Amino acid sequence: MPAAHHLSPRSLQPLATLIGLALLAAACGSEARTITGRAAEIYSGKCARDADATVTVYSGRTEYLIAPILEAFACEMGIDVRVRWGNSTDLAVLINEEGAATEADVFLSRSPGPVGFLEGKGLLGTLDDEVLSLVEPQNQAASGAWVGFSGRKRVLVHNVDLVSDEELPTSVFELTHERYRDRVALPATNGSFEDWFTVFRDTHGNDVATQWLRDMVANDAVYYPNNRAIVEATGRGEIDMGLVNHYYNHQEQIAEGVAHRAENHDFGDEDIGSLLIITAATVLGTAQNVDASNQLIAYLLTEGAQRYFTERTFEYPLAAGVAPNPALPVLTALEIGSVDFDSLGGGFEDTERIIQESGILND
Amino acid sequence: MGFSTTDRRVRQRAPWALKTIGTVVGLLFAFPAAYLIWRNVTTDGGETFTDVVDRTRGPLWRTIRLAILVGASTAVLGTLLAWLTTRTDLPGRRLWRVLLPLPLVYPTFVGAAAFIRTLNPGGLVADLVARIGIHDTPELRGLFGAWLVLTLFTYPYVYLPVAARLRGLPASLEENARLLGSSTWSTFRRIVLPQTASAISTGTLLVVLYAISDFGAVQLMRYDTLTRAVWTTRLNNQPLSFALAAILLVLAVAVVVAQRVMSRRLAEPGRAGSGRKLILPLGRWRPAALATTFVVVVLGLAVPAASLADWAISGIRREATGGRELFISADDLLRPAWNTAWISVVTALVAIVFVLPIAYLVGRYRSRLGSMANAVITATFAMPGLLIALSMFFWTLRNPWAAEHLRGSVVVLVFAYMVRFGAQAVGAATVAVAAVPPRLQDASRILGAGKIRRFATVDLPIMTPGLLAGAGLVLLSTMKELPISLLVAPFDFPTLSTKIFLSFEDAFVAEAGILALVLVGISAILTWLLVVRRADHLD
Repeated sequence: MPAAHHLSPRSLQPLATLIGLALLAAACGSEARTITGRAAEIYSGKCARDADATVTVYSGRTEYLIAPILEAFACEMGIDVRVRWGNSTDLAVLINEEGAATEADVFLSRSPGPVGFLEGKGLLGTLDDEVLSLVEPQNQAASGAWVGFSGRKRVLVHNVDLVSDEELPTSVFELTHERYRDRVALPATNGSFEDWFTVFRDTHGNDVATQWLRDMVANDAVYYPNNRAIVEATGRGEIDMGLVNHYYNHQEQIAEGVAHRAENHDFGDEDIGSLLIITAATVLGTAQNVDASNQLIAYLLTEGAQRYFTERTFEYPLAAGVAPNPALPVLTALEIGSVDFDSLGGGFEDTERIIQESGILND
Repeated sequence: MGFSTTDRRVRQRAPWALKTIGTVVGLLFAFPAAYLIWRNVTTDGGETFTDVVDRTRGPLWRTIRLAILVGASTAVLGTLLAWLTTRTDLPGRRLWRVLLPLPLVYPTFVGAAAFIRTLNPGGLVADLVARIGIHDTPELRGLFGAWLVLTLFTYPYVYLPVAARLRGLPASLEENARLLGSSTWSTFRRIVLPQTASAISTGTLLVVLYAISDFGAVQLMRYDTLTRAVWTTRLNNQPLSFALAAILLVLAVAVVVAQRVMSRRLAEPGRAGSGRKLILPLGRWRPAALATTFVVVVLGLAVPAASLADWAISGIRREATGGRELFISADDLLRPAWNTAWISVVTALVAIVFVLPIAYLVGRYRSRLGSMANAVITATFAMPGLLIALSMFFWTLRNPWAAEHLRGSVVVLVFAYMVRFGAQAVGAATVAVAAVPPRLQDASRILGAGKIRRFATVDLPIMTPGLLAGAGLVLLSTMKELPISLLVAPFDFPTLSTKIFLSFEDAFVAEAGILALVLVGISAILTWLLVVRRADHLD
């Protein structure tokens, strides 16, 4: 009965080839005394002797954006780094589940919300003063539990064929007008949108912010799951415009070239719509290696790393006097730091409820 | 011979050792559900019962609507395609048989995005049809979008078991029906359908549970189901998130119980038969049948692949013309590809070994204990992967030895995958066990063969194709699994799905396209080796 025979050697051949190639690749990659590729842009010297320390990082910043910096840190300091990559929110939920048993020493979050959640749970330690002194007070927690290490600006991404320059608003408050009916996308369940809306509530008051969101819904604003989806859809002309982080449009332009028909529009100075959302780095209260963890966060704030953030990943630098990439919208005065995140307390939970009750999620 | 009831087994009592093993397996699979119940009891939140009911009503209703629609459409489509490719003179049957299972390989989070990228306004296809003057292409979103994408990516759950069943069935009855003047359609309805009903029902159950658990497609299509509500509230309102997940689990259990009650009335899976296969002429329906098959393959396979290839090619071209270089090297492809391949193969084999005792309890002994374990394994398939990942930490961290030795090891990773996808193996394994004629068992017992020898020489050879089909499904699902791969895997253990996700999150679409094509390619090769080629041997 032919059906009963076993895996033939022939069918294992591709697998064997794969193993061979993998071993070869591993053999070539080891024992390097210097580093290469993007990491070498940050540190090009010889790697330090192994300091016999390891920092475990849970990173909500994705690999392409930050791995070269961590690699440069490991080489220059001789400190091993191991990373669990993921979505910032998932990682915060995981750290909360692990509690005191978490392996994480350092947590890097895409926005302040997940860090604030962990601080509320009492799971964060306090950063060294030397680290805190590297960034402006408005870009760190008043408690000293976390620092911002790069920024992304909220902008209005729009399709250049579908939206004329005269139509571009100077404030998010204009978007509730009739002429923007059914034309604006909101990433309403996205972490950075939720953080932005929390600050909006804090700055303009709960009633104003909630009313604005209701008016947006009444004006047929369209819900999209995340920034990337909005930027991609705007580039294709599926939707006219959307509230997003500035950063994605730069990536899409590189990826799609001239076929991508979207540009960022910067709201006027002092408009809540042009808020800077910062990424956040923190050390866990249960960190095994506090010194090395602080060293790692300090490394993110060095000139080399900050320059990498703005030149390579199109973000706003927050330290070491590095100037923003000229390709980015000019940074206006309104930054997230001018809001005291600690005072928001349960603000995030209410934000989730308000967004839900606005009806934006239901078509 | 065939599926006549002459060899209906005498009901035997299951050996106690098998029952013990079955109990242990059932308990292992209950880890996520137990975790969820525990969290609901211990997490105190400000949510009142009314709040939860308020927040549940909409998502619950949408989930039920989506699950029913996807279940119905995949049952029809999967059965039709299986019948067309095994029993009719559809042109190109061999090619279709290789291609039709493949849409299962797309992770929905990237498959749905590729779908949108190709078909929605401004996309590749929309541009094409705009050139011939069609400007109003429907926008894929909401219930329609989620239904379409899930139907196209999950119909193989029905197609594969039904096709296998049809290949195993003797054609004699259909032949007689034809001789007695029955039309093609009425032969299908009166002979084929009743014989395949249990395979259709098992496959549809998987689809419905998958639709309940899916996050990738409903998120991108913006359709707010229970799974999505669990996800949206996971940080800012955890008590509500756990409550919603518990409701989801109750729904899954209800689906499993309902399927069981309904399938009691269906004909029992018959014994494997052999002999000449009947090929029915489609006649004037041939063009329509061919067009249907073609459209399904184009939409389910080619449309997402076109978008992935478009992303990949423009990225490679960009690098070649001095634009931004790609973030991935050959090593970045090989290591995740290798990790993905071996962990999936191991998971598939382990899953078969774990569910086999349950399959014996159900398929041979009709044991109530077996049915309960089977229900636990099956309902767990509807649980969001994130919760299964969290439950792994919950259990390993509560035992010092496990926390020390198991956390962050591939053992827990394989276990988590297996718990998530065991449902796909247990159905196929039960059918495989039931396909072993008891008479063969009796004969070998009389001839003095021991239990192990009987298993190895009588049962296993007959069960192998069925077990491999189940293993194949687990394999494909594991290859594209995301939340467990991100959170439970050891440090520095990249898989293709995690790399695709991390690329895609920050709009590195060229890298995501290349990685996804590699994933689809490897899946296709493994599907062909393990499922299609073997199935064809039965012809």
